[in-house]
Amino acid sequence: MKNTISGQKKPFNDLKNTKFKYVLNLAKNQKGLFVLFTLVCILLPNIITNMYYLGIINYMILYSILCMGLNLILGYAGLLSLGHAAFYGLGGYATAILITRYGFSFLPAMIISGIVALLFGMLLGLPTRKVRGDYFCLLTIAFGEIFRLVAQAWIGFTNGAMGIVGIPIPNILGWSIRTEVDFYYLGLMLLAFTYFTLSLLVNSRFGRAFIAIREDELAASVMGINTAVYKIIVFGIGCFYAGLAGSYLAVYQTTITPSNFRLEESCLMIIMVIVGGMGSLLAPIAGVLVMTLATEYFRGIAEYRMLIIGVIMVVVLLFRPQGIFGTSAFKG
Amino acid sequence: MFFDVLFVGIMVGAIYTLVTIGYSMVYSILKLMNFAHGDVYMFGTFICYTLLAKYNMNPILAIIIAAALGGLLASVVEIVAYRRLRAEQHRMISMITALGAAYVIQNSNELKWGNQVLPFPSILNTEALHVFGLNIPMTQIITLGIAVGLIVLFTLFLKYHSYGKAILCVSEDIPTASLMGIPINKTITMVYFIGGMLGVIGGILYSSSYNAVSLAMGFRGTIIAFTAAVIGGIGSLSGALVGGMIMGICENFIGVYISSAYRDPITFLLLIIILLVKPTGIMGSVEQSKV
Repeated sequence: MKNTISGQKKPFNDLKNTKFKYVLNLAKNQKGLFVLFTLVCILLPNIITNMYYLGIINYMILYSILCMGLNLILGYAGLLSLGHAAFYGLGGYATAILITRYGFSFLPAMIISGIVALLFGMLLGLPTRKVRGDYFCLLTIAFGEIFRLVAQAWIGFTNGAMGIVGIPIPNILGWSIRTEVDFYYLGLMLLAFTYFTLSLLVNSRFGRAFIAIREDELAASVMGINTAVYKIIVFGIGCFYAGLAGSYLAVYQTTITPSNFRLEESCLMIIMVIVGGMGSLLAPIAGVLVMTLATEYFRGIAEYRMLIIGVIMVVVLLFRPQGIFGTSAFKG
Repeated sequence: MFFDVLFVGIMVGAIYTLVTIGYSMVYSILKLMNFAHGDVYMFGTFICYTLLAKYNMNPILAIIIAAALGGLLASVVEIVAYRRLRAEQHRMISMITALGAAYVIQNSNELKWGNQVLPFPSILNTEALHVFGLNIPMTQIITLGIAVGLIVLFTLFLKYHSYGKAILCVSEDIPTASLMGIPINKTITMVYFIGGMLGVIGGILYSSSYNAVSLAMGFRGTIIAFTAAVIGGIGSLSGALVGGMIMGICENFIGVYISSAYRDPITFLLLIIILLVKPTGIMGSVEQSKV
């Protein structure tokens, strides 16, 4: 308890006390388990040979990247963003336009996409200084809608509602990515990159500072944390991963249209993060798993999809506001 | 041309005001972004469409039934999705359940009425009135009349009726109001009911003047209502009026003089600018956060 006064250790203890974190620590402490898990991930395409299932897994990986980024914003910085699909879309469009129109190869295009999303994210994060809580949420909705409507209306640049089609097969240092299995490995690498960079970030001094902000903004600012700057940076970083995911989507689907990035998409990501649990790095993946499998399972009654998602949202939050594996609910 | 656009703008503004009032009241009491508001108003409009188009019902009766059902739905959403969370949870949580409720309503509506634009029958006569050399359709005048009448009625209700006063008290301070013997739950449910009802009437007027009803109305309605409420200043009736009018007039001028494709983006941009420049709205007052 002697460290609680600094305002840094306490939130950290919270994180450690949950079952899920316990499993994680197990994986970290017992290197064997971790290696086994990695091996399973790497060998998965040999186990699952059905390309349809592998396609679903690829989408799960895509959403996991998105949701881990969003979780940084929602679960660690405590900002409700309903415009995440816009950053996802910015990344997608950036990649699509750079590759098809300016002849970029995939890797630089992806990095630029991430940076574009990062910059726009920080730009949208700027108002957090003045605009708080639900007004900020409204701001993100407005941004998301502006992005989608402009992508639809600016036909000269984005090809309007038709979208950009025929994005060529990406090629990284001679490895041309064309099959589902190739995309699986690409996704896995991105996911691993996301996880390791995020865990480095969260466990650093920087990460402890923004956990402190989420726990108690006033106290954190009294401790000398510049809350505004942190929020802007965290928001930007969360959007960076969305940009990467959008880039992946562009080459994976080979087409990109404004309807990929509707508000529903942002809401779906929020639901995945919340169902999985906020404030723990890997918990959103559980949400992705639950929601994707539920969607697949209910595919036969696809017209009820949003109804079921809505009911899941209401029921989960009524009875477990911190999510299935979450460590922290909103406070304040 | 200019005055035609202006007049349509004022009419749309009055309708938006109706939709905004319910939203703004709920927000000022619970600080809850009621995402289901627009979907409730869409639901009521669809009900009215069915009653008019399928059963050829008397328009006034149809409007009353639709408004009552809309109000009922709004209250049910409040009781099921928000009430439990009101006391102990952060309001972000109820915002997300609101979103869930919105999905449920939207999807049910889609199952029942499909997702294409349906032709809403014109319930008012379409003659034009000639004043000062302008052609003003009667529809617009009657729509404006109904909207303004309801706004005045609601204002009087808040000022002079005991239930209205109870609503004002609750929006000032919930714990104090409950100590004074005001039944909080009942009052809040009533606010939802009235808000849903006014919203549905606004939706019907809107649909009947554009002769169209569609699923997209719902989400757009929520955003319009929130934008108008924020522009005018949340929680004040005059704010709802100012915000609704600004929205209605701007939207029509942008649609006519700039481009209808950029109408919504510019409206959202307006919202962002207002949030940045004056987050409390034009008629709103600053609310200091307490420690």
